[in-house]
Amino acid sequence: MAKMRSDRLKIVFVLCLAFVSIGGQHFESKVAQLLRDESEDIKCFVEVKDLTCFWEEERNSLPDQYTFTYSYENKIKDCVVSSLSLLASNKTVFFCKLPKTPFFTTLDVKVSRDRRMLYSRSLNAENFMFLDPPRNLTVLSSGKEGQLNVSWLPPLLKYMDDSMIYEVRYAEEGSNMGKVEVIKVSTMLVLLGLQSDTRYKVWVRVKPDGVAYKGYWSAWTEPVLGVTQPSELDPLIMLLVLFIGLILCLLSMTVILSHQKFLLKKLWPDIPTPERKFPGLFTVYKGDFKEWMSQNNSSMWGRSVHVFTEELPSPLEVLSEVSLSSHGTSQREERKPVEEDEEKESERSDSGLPDRWREPPQAHWLMEQLRTLQENPQPLSQSLLPQSHDTYVTLNQNSQGDGVREVDDVFEETLPLQTLFTTAGTPSLNTSHSDLGSLQQSSGSGRLSSQSSFEYPNHTWPPKGPGYAYMAVADSGVSMDYSPMSSSRIVELGRHRMYTNDYKNEIFLHKWPLSGEHTKSGSDFCMGPIW
Amino acid sequence: MQTFSGLVSILTVFLWLGGNLVSPLRPICDLRVLDHFVREARDSEVIMRGCRGGCGVMKSYFVPLTSVDFAVWEHMDVTGQAVEVQTGLSLLDQALSNAMKTVSNSPLTSALDNNISNIHSLGQILHSLDLQQARSTVLPDDSAPASAQTQEVSSLPELLQVQSSFLRGKVRLLLSAAPACQRQNS
Repeated sequence: MAKMRSDRLKIVFVLCLAFVSIGGQHFESKVAQLLRDESEDIKCFVEVKDLTCFWEEERNSLPDQYTFTYSYENKIKDCVVSSLSLLASNKTVFFCKLPKTPFFTTLDVKVSRDRRMLYSRSLNAENFMFLDPPRNLTVLSSGKEGQLNVSWLPPLLKYMDDSMIYEVRYAEEGSNMGKVEVIKVSTMLVLLGLQSDTRYKVWVRVKPDGVAYKGYWSAWTEPVLGVTQPSELDPLIMLLVLFIGLILCLLSMTVILSHQKFLLKKLWPDIPTPERKFPGLFTVYKGDFKEWMSQNNSSMWGRSVHVFTEELPSPLEVLSEVSLSSHGTSQREERKPVEEDEEKESERSDSGLPDRWREPPQAHWLMEQLRTLQENPQPLSQSLLPQSHDTYVTLNQNSQGDGVREVDDVFEETLPLQTLFTTAGTPSLNTSHSDLGSLQQSSGSGRLSSQSSFEYPNHTWPPKGPGYAYMAVADSGVSMDYSPMSSSRIVELGRHRMYTNDYKNEIFLHKWPLSGEHTKSGSDFCMGPIW
Repeated sequence: MQTFSGLVSILTVFLWLGGNLVSPLRPICDLRVLDHFVREARDSEVIMRGCRGGCGVMKSYFVPLTSVDFAVWEHMDVTGQAVEVQTGLSLLDQALSNAMKTVSNSPLTSALDNNISNIHSLGQILHSLDLQQARSTVLPDDSAPASAQTQEVSSLPELLQVQSSFLRGKVRLLLSAAPACQRQNS
């Protein structure tokens, strides 16, 4: 019997200790928190229904040294001072817990030591509520995705159930960034907008709403973990996306394959080649233009010329010739409008100029003929002068035998074609005379009329036979002059690199072995009567 | 004589009916109404603190005691609580009306007027909760000596503070524990 009684007493004692310790834990933590946060000398708070005021002092003093009094509504009361040692911060505080705390009235608190007032404070007890944290916090996953049901119980306190405000804090497990939701009066909350299949930690704390009661925020509850529902639609959505993607791929493939050629043409256009205009040039003759030309007829040549020039070639009339067999001097005066550089270059390229020049074996004989002509200039000139008023050109032919190549070249360039212009007739005679004179002068040197072109200022001409002079004519029609250079041509005969004169005399075709293709090319070349 | 007694009896019947057959008001149990009044009383205190000129004179007012000892209050019955609340509201009504006469500052005047109308509304609320007691307990004039349930304040700011504390304390506790509302909740 005694043993049973002692056992019961022990149990009660243990329970009391536990209760006190738990209460003490809360009390101590509150004291510690206010010690940190509150700046007043006397810090007060109401736990449950009693007001506790405490202050910090040096360790040496004893609680008995202090006198704690509070007064309200003309009443003065005392309170017993106790001491408390805070283990966490290693500090000692003196406190007093008012036994019957009057609420809703102004309290004047005074602390004095050795009859000397230390601290005083005037406050209303209902404004310093320091509640315990909420109880029984539970976090459950709701039926819907990304939601959690949070519920708790309010702290044990009468009369204040309807005037409490809660703060719910939640964060992903392992993350420090949390969100806070404030909720009034109600003790449950549904968290929305959460990630699916994620663990969350939830905390709750409480405070009076501030209308009837005011106070500090309670401590946070211990965190409670909750898991959101995993996303249900994921596999289905993935399948659908894959399926649709597959269909789109198939469609695009079909489209691409059906319009393959068209798309290729658009994306990778062919580089244009001139093969169309030159049938067989690249395939049969492997780019050998000369060969290709030899196989083509005059219409081809004419067409080619037409491609590069805008003008139609005009016929060339040979008025006189030096005939090798007839011993007469011949003077070739042809009508030749001066051409543009570009055309000459093109014609040059067309005609394969370098290939045409071949030294005739009887160049020397030709010079003799010319000298003969010079001895009798007048009658010849009179007879030979054309009656028309067209532009004439005399050609000076060069003997290959000179050998002073460089000088010849220079001289060639300085003595280009000498154009005779007819204005009223008489000047033409003069010019023609001078021309003959120049012919005389130049015959000694035996210059070939210059073939200088724009491209070859210093180019040594390929061997030019005195037996023939080539001249390609393209009548420029109305205007000879469509470049600034052309006017200088007329005026400055001494300038070089203006003209490309390709004239091919038909006479020599019979005598000299010339490239056959040139004879066959039509109206560009001089064909005149053989004297 | 007989007709006179008959008339009297009929009149008594009518009076009795008038007294009892007044349709009972629906109980106003929502404490947010009271919270609204509490906030407006606090606004008056704020206006009082910011008042510069025409803010009333030093005058003594008899006001109710506001302190609440929970242990004592819980042991008190509802009727006793109701009497205390009703008395206090009457005192406050008188004091505020007297104070308003001395105030010329218009914001303060309107705030005080608001408080007075709120106190009247509280009377109606108590009536709806069957907690309104007879007005015989109301003191007729200011000069009556302070009873155990009253205290004396000497300025308008103190008066407003008392009003605020009274509303937050005793009035609220009474309304939150009103039997009519408890019956509704249960």
